[in-house]
Amino acid sequence: MTTQNKAINLFINAFLIAFCVIIIFPVIYSMLVSFQEPRMAFHSIIPERWTFQHYIRLFSHGLFPRYILNSIIYAIGGAIVSTSLSALAAYALARFQFKGKTLANSFILAMMMLPGLISVIPIYKLASDLKLLDTYTLLIIVFGAYGIPLGIWILKAFFSSIPQVLDEAAFIDGATPIQAFFKVILPITTPGLIATFLINFVYNWNNFFTPLILVTRTNMKMATVGLFDFQHVLEGNQDELLAAACVVIMIPSIILFIVLRDYFMRGMVEGAVKG
Amino acid sequence: MINRSKAYPYLLVAPAIIFLLVVTLYPTLYSLYLAMTRTRMGVMEFVGLRNFRVALNSTEFWQSMRNTLVFTSLYVLLTTVIGYGIALLLNRKLRLTGLFMTIIFLPWVLSEITTGVVWRWMFYQDYGILQNLLGPLFGGYSFIARPGGAMGIVIAATVWRSISFAMLLLLAGLQTVPKEVHEAAAMDGADGWKAFWKITWPLTLPTTIVTIVFMTIQAVNGVGMILSITEGGPGRATEVLGLLMYRQAMQFYNFGYAAAISVTLLFLNLILAAFYIRSLNRETALAG
Repeated sequence: MTTQNKAINLFINAFLIAFCVIIIFPVIYSMLVSFQEPRMAFHSIIPERWTFQHYIRLFSHGLFPRYILNSIIYAIGGAIVSTSLSALAAYALARFQFKGKTLANSFILAMMMLPGLISVIPIYKLASDLKLLDTYTLLIIVFGAYGIPLGIWILKAFFSSIPQVLDEAAFIDGATPIQAFFKVILPITTPGLIATFLINFVYNWNNFFTPLILVTRTNMKMATVGLFDFQHVLEGNQDELLAAACVVIMIPSIILFIVLRDYFMRGMVEGAVKG
Repeated sequence: MINRSKAYPYLLVAPAIIFLLVVTLYPTLYSLYLAMTRTRMGVMEFVGLRNFRVALNSTEFWQSMRNTLVFTSLYVLLTTVIGYGIALLLNRKLRLTGLFMTIIFLPWVLSEITTGVVWRWMFYQDYGILQNLLGPLFGGYSFIARPGGAMGIVIAATVWRSISFAMLLLLAGLQTVPKEVHEAAAMDGADGWKAFWKITWPLTLPTTIVTIVFMTIQAVNGVGMILSITEGGPGRATEVLGLLMYRQAMQFYNFGYAAAISVTLLFLNLILAAFYIRSLNRETALAG
């Protein structure tokens, strides 16, 4: 490598590091604020005295623990529905030739392109007529459906990478396609299933606008919506507590993202391009 | 395989399709009907195109349309330009590429509300860190309290959150440019800018168009961050179509009117989806 090239690379690295510092700053900043003593949020960026008290307060009283519990129920419930239904569909679409397959594929693509924003108001109206508002069932069904198209695209790739010989061997042993699916294919696809489940968990966990509309009763709210309420109440006087709530909601997404980074990225590109 | 197995694929696909029909397609179609009704005292009545007439004759609708347009164009411009620049740099296979990607990607896996809360802090009136840093440069301008400033904040925040999307799509496009093309160009003495404009840019143009349309779709349907940062304010300065719909439905229980805005958004999305599929097909045709 010539010295000129070295200099260019050094410059590019320095530039990207600066860019990344800017990108990550708001996240780090919220963490720093959450460790500030009360009313010290904006006195310095780095806390003069560190305290854990806001986290303890968050979990020892008030609605926050309930919100977190609700978030866990909604996010896990939705992810189970999406993962199981998309696994079944992806298996059929990857393995079988059948009439209407192209139609099914284009239908799923079309549904992926219809944003939740358009359907959420009619869902509210329909759910209110069916007395389903403020129930776990409603949001789990809605989250479940939201995750299906992406789940199918991720899992289809997984199923296609498994040699067809394995299914055929199972058929020769007298297994039905359903048995072959559960006994032979599914165990091999476990990493794909876990990835699909966790990605959908993160999406559901983060979702803010849909639960804001579909769940309005206080003790049924998700943490994201609860945070929106907190924002109105705490902003300007208890910013440190608000920051702690933000951080608690961020942490699971950050951890799962770091563990599953490549799946997230692939899901993003494939969802957008192969879509 | 035996004959009865013909039913299996349908049984396997059916549950997923049914969920999508019930949760996505049916409500979308129902919004077409809802948009032509009015609810009074709990009784729904059919009013034809009245909600659309009301919307088209109201200033709030056109202001939201204008806000959506301003928001969308700047968001698309910035995500695409910055995303392209970063993708070009990351395409050089640096040692820290993995770390850079992780960090650039991080904001996107965080909720719109948590990141919205932080962005709002940074522009607090008297003590927000960015307000204090940037305010003096603009003669003490208070960003969050002014229409233009508030629009600037929500654009900056949403661009920050989704730059990785544009970057990733463009990087995938850049990686399809064969290395030999660059080597051949270098042999002919083309370097730096010239090579970029003569080779890289035309070869990645289809991907760039895909990215632009994709980011437009994202922008038109983006509400969460704006809601958490400005709630459409000050006044109606950042109230995009999605937020107008939200307020009409959830604050005024004006479901017919809200559904009329849903339908407007649906048509915008259908037009964009048509563009998107066309741009994707063109991209694959060129790549293949």
